[in-house]
Amino acid sequence: MKVRQILWLFLPATLLLVAFIAAPSFDLFRASVFDPDFTTEHFERLINRSVYLDVMWRTIHVSLTVAVLCTLIGYPVAFFINLQPRRRQTLLLFLILIPMWMSILIRTYAWIVILGRDGLVNQMLAMLGLATEPMQMLYTSGAVLAAMVQILLPIQILTCYAAMTEIDFDLIRAARVLGARPRQALARVFLPLSLDGTLTGLVIVFMLSMGFFITPALLGGRQDTMIANLIEFQVQRLNWSFAAALGVVLLVLTVGMIVALRGAGKLLARRVLKGGL
Amino acid sequence: MHIMKPSLLLTGYFWLIVAYMIFPALIVIPVSFSSSEFLRFPPEDFGLRWYGVYFTDPVWIAATVTSFRVAVLSTVIATTVGTMTGLAIIRSPTHAQAPLTYATTIPIVIPHIFIALGVFILALRLDLTDNEVALAFAHAAVAMPFVVLITSAAIRQIDPTIERAARVLGAGPFRAFRVATLPPLLPAMVAAAIFAFFVSFDELIIAQFLMKGSETLPMRIWADLRLDISPVVAAVSGLLIVVTTVALACAEILRRRAISTLAP
Repeated sequence: MKVRQILWLFLPATLLLVAFIAAPSFDLFRASVFDPDFTTEHFERLINRSVYLDVMWRTIHVSLTVAVLCTLIGYPVAFFINLQPRRRQTLLLFLILIPMWMSILIRTYAWIVILGRDGLVNQMLAMLGLATEPMQMLYTSGAVLAAMVQILLPIQILTCYAAMTEIDFDLIRAARVLGARPRQALARVFLPLSLDGTLTGLVIVFMLSMGFFITPALLGGRQDTMIANLIEFQVQRLNWSFAAALGVVLLVLTVGMIVALRGAGKLLARRVLKGGL
Repeated sequence: MHIMKPSLLLTGYFWLIVAYMIFPALIVIPVSFSSSEFLRFPPEDFGLRWYGVYFTDPVWIAATVTSFRVAVLSTVIATTVGTMTGLAIIRSPTHAQAPLTYATTIPIVIPHIFIALGVFILALRLDLTDNEVALAFAHAAVAMPFVVLITSAAIRQIDPTIERAARVLGAGPFRAFRVATLPPLLPAMVAAAIFAFFVSFDELIIAQFLMKGSETLPMRIWADLRLDISPVVAAVSGLLIVVTTVALACAEILRRRAISTLAP
């Protein structure tokens, strides 16, 4: 195909992305420092108030926790699917894919049904005579964490799984032939080879967590506010410029953390490959 | 393929985690058939009361219709633009394909709240808030990357020599594409369209910022969950869980067929 034809085919996507992603992003940056004249007051306000710093710190902290939990929980799941015969793998993957594509709003709502005052857990506890009055589980950090991990887990499982299918199983067989026990072959050959894809999954989950909005708002209390919730609150109060500054901070923190995580991952991978784990 | 047999412990662990991922959604379905005033589990008596409320309440129906309208327009835009882009990527030189894929799928990695805020601030200046068409385009920008990924993977499996043969035999570029490439590509396009539809239909934050007068279904659910959690949400969720599962399972089957070279 001629270059000109290819360029024509790229044109609609370019227009769409420029108009609805690039231009709005640019306008957001502009709004964060022009109100209407150039000012850094919004960023100063962000740095000088401990409330906002707390929210930023919490957003990073929660996102890292969710990413690490998803990795620890998801890795063995992906490994299990990988051990199955081909046909079975496809079927098992459906069990992971279906919840992944379900609306986050509905998946969060389901947790209200489970953890609410008259929800499933409290009813069960009462029935078993384990609790005399309902336990407060909704509007706690634990509820937010349980739901966020549940919502993002499929993504980590699929990323790990994809990385594992790339691994040449002859390498593991070779290790076995050379006298490695199954456990050794896994730790010294399989794990290092799957590490890169697993770290990619961790970074993706972290990135998605940073922008989480629905789950902390519905399942968390005041103490669980994340940057996205703060942005919505400021938009409702018509503080667009301050909301824009928060948006810029969210993007900068996310990108900065991704670079840091990638760097840390490379270091870790090098140590594991040297056999230091 | 087998390097080892999964132990009983690992098998048990797998099903436990699957239950953790699926069970919360399943529990909503029995709750939706409750007929009591409050959210309770297990429901005291069963009935279709809240489904009835949903189908007769003009506010809920209007929100559903709005979401449907926006999602259909958004799907048409995302599928058309995304398929063109997928085609352009695969027909580009091999070394350029990876960077082009990254560049056109970038919205996947940007938090929706960031896109929502940006689109909102720009729309305020251009006086485009509360505009369903603008919302559909914004949703299309978010959904397009998924279309690009699905269709480009499928196009890679299609032999380009057939289209070239059609050109040699005198067909114009459009006709050659329609005759040689479009038919085998169609299942992937349908799969991509279904995914794109639900990206828009389920999207809350961009709609929440952009719309003021009319509301979409996720906005209606959101408002309801924020104020008082009425069992109507359970009925809506029950419906959506079933519809989403069926539609996306079909989409996934189509997508898998399109990317496997062994497919008939």
